[in-house]
Amino acid sequence: MSHTTMLDLSRWQWALTAAFHVTFPAITVGTSILLIVCYAMYMRTDDQAWLTMFRFWRQIFGIGFAIGVVSGIVLTFEFGLNWGRFAHDVGPIIGVMIAMEVGWAFFLEAGFLGLLVYGEGRIGRRMMMFATCMVSLGTVLSVTWIMVANSWMQTPAGYKRVHGQFQPINWVDVIFNPSFGIRFAHMLLAALIAAGFFIAGISSWYFLKRRHLPLARRGLSIALGVLAVLVPLQGYVGSEQVTTYVLKYKPAEALAIAGLWKPSTGYSLIEIPRQNGPKNIWQLTIPWYGSEVAGDLSGNTPTPPLSLVPNKLRPKVLPIFYGFRVMFFGWLLMLLAVIVGVFLRLRGRLYDSRWFHRLLLAMTPLGIFAIWGGWVTAEEGRQPWIVNGQLPTAAAVSPLHAWSVLTSFTVLVAIYLTLLGTYVWYVARAVRQGPGDSVLGDSETTAIRSQALAEAAPAS
Amino acid sequence: MRLSDGWMIAVVLCLAMYIVLDGYDLGIGIMTLFDRDAARRREMHGLVAWLWDGNESWLVLLALSLWSGFPLVTGTALAALYVVLFPMLWSLIVRGVSLELIGQHDGWHRVWGPIFGIGSLLAAFCQGAAFGGLVAGLPVHGANFAGGPFTFLHHGYAVLTGLTAVMLYVLAGSAWLYLKTAGQTQRRAARTGRLAVILLAAGTAASWLLAPIAGSVTLDPGATARLPVWIAGASLLAAGLAYAFFSFRPESRGPRFDAWPTFAALAVYAGGLMLTGGLLYPTVVPPHVTVHSAASPHSSLLFLTIGVGLIIPVILTYQTFGYWVFRGKTTEEATPV
Repeated sequence: MSHTTMLDLSRWQWALTAAFHVTFPAITVGTSILLIVCYAMYMRTDDQAWLTMFRFWRQIFGIGFAIGVVSGIVLTFEFGLNWGRFAHDVGPIIGVMIAMEVGWAFFLEAGFLGLLVYGEGRIGRRMMMFATCMVSLGTVLSVTWIMVANSWMQTPAGYKRVHGQFQPINWVDVIFNPSFGIRFAHMLLAALIAAGFFIAGISSWYFLKRRHLPLARRGLSIALGVLAVLVPLQGYVGSEQVTTYVLKYKPAEALAIAGLWKPSTGYSLIEIPRQNGPKNIWQLTIPWYGSEVAGDLSGNTPTPPLSLVPNKLRPKVLPIFYGFRVMFFGWLLMLLAVIVGVFLRLRGRLYDSRWFHRLLLAMTPLGIFAIWGGWVTAEEGRQPWIVNGQLPTAAAVSPLHAWSVLTSFTVLVAIYLTLLGTYVWYVARAVRQGPGDSVLGDSETTAIRSQALAEAAPAS
Repeated sequence: MRLSDGWMIAVVLCLAMYIVLDGYDLGIGIMTLFDRDAARRREMHGLVAWLWDGNESWLVLLALSLWSGFPLVTGTALAALYVVLFPMLWSLIVRGVSLELIGQHDGWHRVWGPIFGIGSLLAAFCQGAAFGGLVAGLPVHGANFAGGPFTFLHHGYAVLTGLTAVMLYVLAGSAWLYLKTAGQTQRRAARTGRLAVILLAAGTAASWLLAPIAGSVTLDPGATARLPVWIAGASLLAAGLAYAFFSFRPESRGPRFDAWPTFAALAVYAGGLMLTGGLLYPTVVPPHVTVHSAASPHSSLLFLTIGVGLIIPVILTYQTFGYWVFRGKTTEEATPV
């Protein structure tokens, strides 16, 4: 097997392990904030139901965190195992950024997680609140440093090359590289939205089964309230990201997203692309809309064609085209669901529209799919570079045998499928069992609770 | 002392914390394979379940402190040890998850129990093999590893160090069980511990004697100047082994202090690290990659020392707190004091 096979296998292995890993932080960042809300409400109102809800979501948070840790260990080693030359060349910059992530974010989470999970009865309420906030802060810091590192690979800054190695000359430029701010906002929102739909989906399941309704109401109300702000905001941040970073620093990616071979004012909705042209095998075009996307409502602005990029420097069209569409149409669907949710709430029908609960249950993993789609677009869109415009991916890979990588990849797939199955099984079981005690059963305190609920849903 | 030497101390500290902390729980995992009593196995699983994830987080910090401070080492050695490090990663994942699953369902321990044991055994073996492969030398050309997938084996030397690591971890596991349990579990731990000491002594001696034959180790001219470090390390190692043997007492006769084997195991770890460091320094990946040639530039090391180095004492403090919370014996039956 050739060097190309080995390179492709190494990339597939990284893509799989990173996609698997990102799933769990995506859920835990948002869930940790829900935990803060629950515990803060419990401290303020002394309502046991908030504590029960806190305990329920803490259980789901805990298992997600554990899988995030073990899959994170694999990633930290893969930098050196599969991408040895990359590890050498960017270690002084990316290595340091990820070491900061481990030292500050990861250990903050891991340290306070013990108190959060096992501390009840041993520590007071204020300390528990503090531990919850620290775990949550850890998850956000983790996103921050990872986005610093990855954004630097998209828009490297503040370095000099010494014998091929990237060495820092200005840390401020390194950390606040041109794409960091907008990409951090985009990813943080994405994680919160993914968790929002995860929480809304599980809450909807309880509505459909008519069980634990107070927990379901609170969960749904908080999640949809927050989503009503974040999902539209994400639309704005996403389009800002395209104009300030993708078009400017990764024009080839933008062309692959459009997926057109002839300059056209139309928009290719679905297509079977041909990597090297001169035209796509098949495409379904919406007239005029391409010009609208470019900001010209008159319909006269054409989208530039893929032929502007030389074949050798053109990233793979297929994964970028569809990765972007999974993300974008996923967002559009989420936006529709959120708008419907606001209408239902205003008409007081949020808690008894079963068709809407069914829809939300089906949408439980949609935020995660959108994150995967976005990352495929960003990482594939940077090809053939691993450090944009500076270090080719093909030169960054370790000199391994294809058989070694094939073996490690196959076993990892088997292990990760088992892990994913175990996670789904565990969450499904935790949800089926519901919160431990019956405090959350319907009772005469409903009136007090709905007041608390209104306070906890700032966006509605 | 240069900043790169200082950061190497941080790396070695992470390594030491990892092998000491995960060493005992890997060792206990291996021992569950050889215990037929389900209740005792449950007790052992419980002892590991508390803190294994905190212990393993040192492996993450070790990987990152090495990569960020010494990119050339990570860039070459990890690829060279691919064949042995990936099985280690598989084992660590499977073992962590199986431990969480053992208690979830009646009867699951029949499946996940042995998987936990085998995962622990394979992880320990791979770590020892990786160590042997590294110290015996790995060819490096420029910034790339220049050997094949099995170069690290060095005609089987890596297998020897792999087995030796298994014995080291079994010793640490026995010592920890001896400290944390009582009754039959403790007596069995003492007997296993004594056996592990003998095998470990043989394994260490063989690894030591065969190292020059197996690999391309060349002594730095400064190595003789570090003779006191060698002597101290070797003495600590030998004294630790001897004391471990005598402080494991299967029959309780008179007053005793159950932490002695653990202290003896710590002396073995410290002696082993001093010996290895004394032999290799300033080399990290023999024969050519040194602390100074592999180090990140000054500004990176400075950032690391301030940004990450200062957090290490904080991490140590709260982990100590965690161990303090879970102090004491797990076995309910009273221990003769």
